[in-house]
Amino acid sequence: MTSKHFLPKFILLLAISAILLALGSFLGSAGISWNLSDASQTIVFDIRLPRSLGAFLAGALLGLAGGIAQSLFRNPLADPYLLGSASGALLGVGIMLCFTQIGSPLLETVGINGGAFIGALLGVFAALLLAGGYRSSIRLLLSGVVISVILGAANSLFTFIRPDLYQSLQSFMLGNTTLLTWNAVELMAITLTICLIITLLISPALDALALGENTALTLGLPLAQLRLTLIGVLALATGCAVAQTGLIAFVGLAAPHLVRKLSAGRQRSQLLFSGIAGGILLLGSDLLARTLFAPIEIPVGIVTAVLGGIYLLTLLKRSQMGAHS
Amino acid sequence: MNTHDLSVYRGPCAILRELNLHIPQKQWTSIVGPNGAGKSSLLQAMVGLLHYTGSINLDGVDLKSLSNKDRAKTIGWLEQNTNTHQEFEDCLTVYDTVMLGRLPHQTWLHLPTQEDHLKVEQALKQTHSWELRGRLLNQLSGGERQRVLMARLLAVDADILLMDEPLANLDPPHQADWLKQQKNLLAQGKTLVTVLHEIHFALRADHIIMLHHGGMHFQGSSQDPQTHQALIELFEGRIRLEKAGNDWVALPN
Amino acid sequence: MKKNTQPLTQAQYVWVGVVLFLLFFSLGVLASPITVVDDGGNTLNLNNPPQRVISLLPSLTESVCALGKCNTLVGTDRYSNWPKSIDSLPKLGAIGDFNIERIVQLKPDLVLLEKASPLISRLKSLGIPTLGFDIKSMEDEHRALQKLDLVFDTTQGNRVWDQIQAQIVRANKQLPTSPKNISVYFEVNPAPFAAGRSSFIGELLNRLDLMNIIPDSLGPFPKINPEFVVKAKPQVILISETNISQIKKRPGWSTIPAISQNKICTFTPQENDILVRPGPRMGEAALIISECIQKKMSSSEQ
Repeated sequence: MTSKHFLPKFILLLAISAILLALGSFLGSAGISWNLSDASQTIVFDIRLPRSLGAFLAGALLGLAGGIAQSLFRNPLADPYLLGSASGALLGVGIMLCFTQIGSPLLETVGINGGAFIGALLGVFAALLLAGGYRSSIRLLLSGVVISVILGAANSLFTFIRPDLYQSLQSFMLGNTTLLTWNAVELMAITLTICLIITLLISPALDALALGENTALTLGLPLAQLRLTLIGVLALATGCAVAQTGLIAFVGLAAPHLVRKLSAGRQRSQLLFSGIAGGILLLGSDLLARTLFAPIEIPVGIVTAVLGGIYLLTLLKRSQMGAHS
Repeated sequence: MNTHDLSVYRGPCAILRELNLHIPQKQWTSIVGPNGAGKSSLLQAMVGLLHYTGSINLDGVDLKSLSNKDRAKTIGWLEQNTNTHQEFEDCLTVYDTVMLGRLPHQTWLHLPTQEDHLKVEQALKQTHSWELRGRLLNQLSGGERQRVLMARLLAVDADILLMDEPLANLDPPHQADWLKQQKNLLAQGKTLVTVLHEIHFALRADHIIMLHHGGMHFQGSSQDPQTHQALIELFEGRIRLEKAGNDWVALPN
Repeated sequence: MKKNTQPLTQAQYVWVGVVLFLLFFSLGVLASPITVVDDGGNTLNLNNPPQRVISLLPSLTESVCALGKCNTLVGTDRYSNWPKSIDSLPKLGAIGDFNIERIVQLKPDLVLLEKASPLISRLKSLGIPTLGFDIKSMEDEHRALQKLDLVFDTTQGNRVWDQIQAQIVRANKQLPTSPKNISVYFEVNPAPFAAGRSSFIGELLNRLDLMNIIPDSLGPFPKINPEFVVKAKPQVILISETNISQIKKRPGWSTIPAISQNKICTFTPQENDILVRPGPRMGEAALIISECIQKKMSSSEQ
């Protein structure tokens, strides 16, 4: 029944994305125009386009991961970083920064981005290990928190030992879309495709979780395997996004909430729309970041944090009014 | 369905110890007992949600030998409707909720077939919830929600239906509807097992199993005077049984 | 006009050959590209000295200007503020938010920046040459000046360096001969981060024959425990004037001789800029320090 409404919503979301992308090639801190003089052509094609596309893809990865996190744990406050991927990525970057001074060619190719990616994956893996696999969502959530805290402490220790790296780590933490290349866009596009395909295939089984974990099990669903697969997708998507853009706040948290009304509870739609919404959110924030105070660029993480904060406030207000009525 | 030396564990504690129960096919068996006797745990063990030792046999076949999907198609389970409205519910529509009951029959792509839609419609009509089909699950009243969850159970089209407190939140007219529905299901050849604390409804069943202190107190036909005696013992003489028309009623003493 | 139609003699052939050879040789030398290896290990090849330079580090901006090539600068980072002539140049951000679009728009033929900046690979992919620097000690700045000399084809590097050295010697002479080895503590920021012996600030202090209470083992810019300073009891504290009020409130610090005798050298923001940049004004930094210490030590006869 509701599948009748799916197509128009889907197209609407894609249309918004396309508009934003067009704006992305148009707006920038060097001026608003398509004036194709020599340098401007480089600016549009080599800087603005990959940056806009990259921001959209990274946002989509984070949105998808956030949607998965909230649906898996049935928790509106879940975000892609809750299984230790953020602290893991930070530590990975820190270690890579240390090693770049050695100048080993292998480490050069892995680079900071690779370090972030591997760190994120290892963080989630550690959380899974600590929880003893996915038997209970509470247990996994708790061990995710524990790993985040432990790795966070490791990071603090790290900055203490190497205070000269503090600034680089700081800028990674705030998130950065200014350095996105066509390479990065390719990487994220491939990852997003893989993640989306896997998610869309197995997500209908997640619908059953709305009835409670017990009932879902009695319907013959291999819940444990499904959840492990989805956690794998979550780790992959988060790791890839974080590797290219750093730790951007709120996109993964807010995107699923923005589209919840649209998806009528079906996980297939919810997760797909979360992805697109994430892309729209991050690209929109990036556009604001480059044009609000041009030529000064605000770090995009600040814009997403402000937008996300405002959104959560309105969410709170709305639920308060709901509680009174 | 028979159980042999069934001991059900919740964690390290044995809730039920060495039960040997007989649940006759194509009849309605009702499980009664004081609070905490382990009635819900018994049902949960039957659908594989709780760890147990001993065996549960269906027509001679051990349940443990069935694959998850096969067991899901054979035994349906209705959870206790604890009426805690989750703030955060990915709000499914009523129709989609009932469609979830078809999951055991679907391929891994989970695309609904013609037959799925048919069964869902039937289940909704049987529980008088067809008009609710476009509404969101968390907008329903307690009674409406109960009927929708029942429809979900019916959509599974399993031969054995386990129901935990299926009358919760239902007002008398709907309770009457439910009774009629039970008769229909029996006529279709289903085996029904319910956990109820409303004794007079339990007495409408064909067969009664009484649980007490982790063990079985008595099991027998609901018309048998021995069963009635055992029932009064179970509740320590605090009830008496009287006939009202064709049915037996339990009243506080 | 005599018409010389005689064929060239063998000797004249040789002369022509030699002249031609010298000609081509010098052309070859002039046309040979500039090749410099930067602190990150990357090789920079330029055909001509750069005409449009962007500097993303204040000390590098100052170094370029000290070499007389201020006029090649077309953009700097946000914090570069010396000499005054660069004030009008576009400011391109700082670490973490460099404005790539504007950098590209300025069409630089060389960008000078920190060797570990992620901007380097991005600029490389856009075809913009970069030179990365890692300047932590005085010798690092000496080397940087020499590299910049190569790049800009100037010869000013050594002169600038000599001038720095001369200023340091003068600063040393300014200090009283007794007491010797005045113990000092240089606080860089209120975390507190201090200047260790292996940093360029520490080296300056050493050249001024001052005893830095921070031992070598702690590295160039260690984050220290305030207790350490209390135990070490420095005679003079060197600190920026914006941070002065809160260090007096630190527990136990009132017992430090520098505080109880009010021998605290505070620096204005402009002086602070000179002190914390490992650039061509390090000599001036030495003079600032020695002037202040001399004033403080003489104001109270011990």
